[in-house]
Amino acid sequence: MLKYLIVQLDDSAPSFCHYPDSEREPKLIPLDTLRKGLLRSMKENLTVQFIYPDYELPNEYAALIDSVYHADIVSVKSENSGLLAGAEVIVINSLENLENFKFAEGKAYVWRTSISDFLKNNGKLSMILPRIDRLNVVFTDVANFNDSLKVNYAKALDKLAEVIVAEYDRQHPVQLNLLTDRILLDEMNNCNAGDECITLCPDGRYYICPAFYSDSKNAVGDVNNGLNVKNPQLYRINHAPICRTCDAWQCRRCVWLNRNLTLEVNTPGRQQCVMTHLERNASARLLENLRNNKILGLTKVLYGRTLLYLPGLLFGFEKCGRGCK
Amino acid sequence: MIIRFSKLSIMTNLENRKEIIMEEEIGIKENERGWQDGMSKNITFIVTKDCQLACKYCYLVGKNEKERMTWQVAKKVIDYVLDNEKQFKEQSVIWDFIGGEPFLEIELIDKICDYIKTEMFRRNHHWFDSYRFSFSTNGINYDDKRVQRFIEKNIDHLSIGITIDGTKRKHDLNRIWKGSGGEEQGSYDDVVRNIPLWLKQFPDASTKVTISSADIPYISESVLHLYSLGIKEVNINVVFEDVWKDGDDNLFEEQLMILADEIIDKGYYKDYACSLFSDSIGKPLDAALDNQNWCGAGKMLSVDAAGNFYPCTRFAAYSLRSKRPVIIGNVTEGIDENLLRPFLTLDRITQSPQECIDCEVASGCAWCQGENYDAAETDTIYQRSTAICKMHKARVRANNYYWNKLYRKLESEGKRNDYDTVSKKSGSQSC
Ligand code: SF4
Ligand code: SF4
Ligand code: SF4
Ligand code: SF4
Repeated sequence: MLKYLIVQLDDSAPSFCHYPDSEREPKLIPLDTLRKGLLRSMKENLTVQFIYPDYELPNEYAALIDSVYHADIVSVKSENSGLLAGAEVIVINSLENLENFKFAEGKAYVWRTSISDFLKNNGKLSMILPRIDRLNVVFTDVANFNDSLKVNYAKALDKLAEVIVAEYDRQHPVQLNLLTDRILLDEMNNCNAGDECITLCPDGRYYICPAFYSDSKNAVGDVNNGLNVKNPQLYRINHAPICRTCDAWQCRRCVWLNRNLTLEVNTPGRQQCVMTHLERNASARLLENLRNNKILGLTKVLYGRTLLYLPGLLFGFEKCGRGCK
Repeated sequence: MIIRFSKLSIMTNLENRKEIIMEEEIGIKENERGWQDGMSKNITFIVTKDCQLACKYCYLVGKNEKERMTWQVAKKVIDYVLDNEKQFKEQSVIWDFIGGEPFLEIELIDKICDYIKTEMFRRNHHWFDSYRFSFSTNGINYDDKRVQRFIEKNIDHLSIGITIDGTKRKHDLNRIWKGSGGEEQGSYDDVVRNIPLWLKQFPDASTKVTISSADIPYISESVLHLYSLGIKEVNINVVFEDVWKDGDDNLFEEQLMILADEIIDKGYYKDYACSLFSDSIGKPLDAALDNQNWCGAGKMLSVDAAGNFYPCTRFAAYSLRSKRPVIIGNVTEGIDENLLRPFLTLDRITQSPQECIDCEVASGCAWCQGENYDAAETDTIYQRSTAICKMHKARVRANNYYWNKLYRKLESEGKRNDYDTVSKKSGSQSC
């Protein structure tokens, strides 16, 4: 069931997720289009999330945006300091020059990074975790992950897990999506684009998520005629044969990556699964460390949790009886 | 295979490397399952996209005379497959040659097969003594000297199916010569003359008949005609495409009833088989236990003249009406395992609409992944096309009639219990 509407306010709005940053010239969503989209969101009880361009919006836009319940997704490079101060999600593309950056309390930060930068910047990230409440690491080149990176990725995660244990120990339950989400979750918590979440783009059309905006052929309706998602069942987890039996609940299950790698929105590429399971296993080791260090109490939800470490990536697709690997 | 009753003894015919189960003279002939069914890898060379015929129902919308496989590409395919033995673990292999008409490229095929045999031997490959070369041909140049030399050389490892659609008027309705334009010229006479030679070389050979809307009135006469030619096994498929007109289902049912009466009343069921009648079709299917995919796409590998790999030929550009081809790799870079994942994890329930999940007669109702993809509203293999729905339901009604009548007959002859004991409840026939 649809719950969220993402509105990309401008063609140039930076990416907050796996897909690349826009290369388009700035072009705002027409005010009338925005109004129609928001009206619909109110009628259908959708929570709205706005993705902003880096420049400051005209006043009439700010007023319209303010008329609905919403959350703001903003790049750290935004020229609008007021917006930046109030935004729920702040997107960072580089860890350079963040030594003195003041991470606001209670805010979620998204770090979009390549896999190699992530591995290189393990030290920098370890310095940031004590100063941040929540960090989502989002990889921009999942397709490049290969088996030769497995060991290094697992090691990098274990190092970060050590920092997290230390932070818990000093009463700072930092959240790092790659490691803490899986142990805090009770069920699958994926992106769910196309099922729970749909995106309105500046051309007045709906897309499964902003990543699909690169080609208007991907549109799934428009503000005048409403939504028209064909084969909507394929965006639901019960129609995703590999994922529905998977226990890597923190996985984004990115349907855009799925389509790029396997041509099917409901089937993940191997890279996503392998990375996610290395995270899942590192999360299991983190939980064990927290337990051994007797510091579970900080987040009551962790009491009684178990998450078995499964060496050898024994997850859905690798034990698939139909021979899929 | 002939199922005989009681006192079974098994004899191996070394020449044909086939098991023949012999017994008393009373039995029901069942459809053969393919060689090493389910245990073999199927590797298909699309050696040419050319054909002498222009059959009206042919799904190959992009046939042409230009795309012929070269020896260089063919050799690369063989090297790739044999180099990657770990990737191809199936215990045996079927090297399949299709077209267009494969025998148009007999010289290339001969060279390919020689190379495969030599290489499997040289590498001590686990397929060395477990392979078949398989052909689906229109039969027109079956008696060509080069084709015959090839057959002689490889007879122990060959399966050849000649497509003949039935009586002359039925066959010539669809299977016409290319370029025969205004005055359509049928190909029946050019094929039927080769049937005796084919049956002499492959006495247990079967033929495949494809039924489209216009063919329905000729089904019964055609099957009986094929029996009369000595073909003991007739496999019939109704096309998966959305071609069916109002009333076609009733006509189909009528034809099958006529055929059922003939087969039973004249006792053909003892020695001849027709895939339309099977006692395992027309039952509800369990969502968990009967959730497997039907078609072999993804488990097989097809390769075209450009060296591109496909999960099945049906996903190559020349087979598709409205979708992009699904290329899962090529001879140089190998197979992209990610692109195979959807095929290998696809199951019945995930691709079926609710009416098929709840269907009371679902067993034996087939689909073709390629047609599903071609007909789907989005670029997906996960949307099952149900264009054959009413035809399957008609088949089930006639099939129920057939088995009720046959069982009653066997019972009155005191042979029903024997049949129940020996009969294999074979599942759905795969493509
Ligand atoms: S589908 Fe979801 S996870 Fe993937 S790019 Fe779009 S929003 Fe991000
Ligand atoms: S790890 Fe793979 S199988 Fe599991 S939810 Fe993520 S994409 Fe799906
Ligand atoms: S297509 Fe029709 S006959 Fe076949 S399973 Fe679906 S509902 Fe049943
Ligand atoms: S049913 Fe269709 S897609 Fe499947 S193997 Fe046969 S031709 Fe290929």
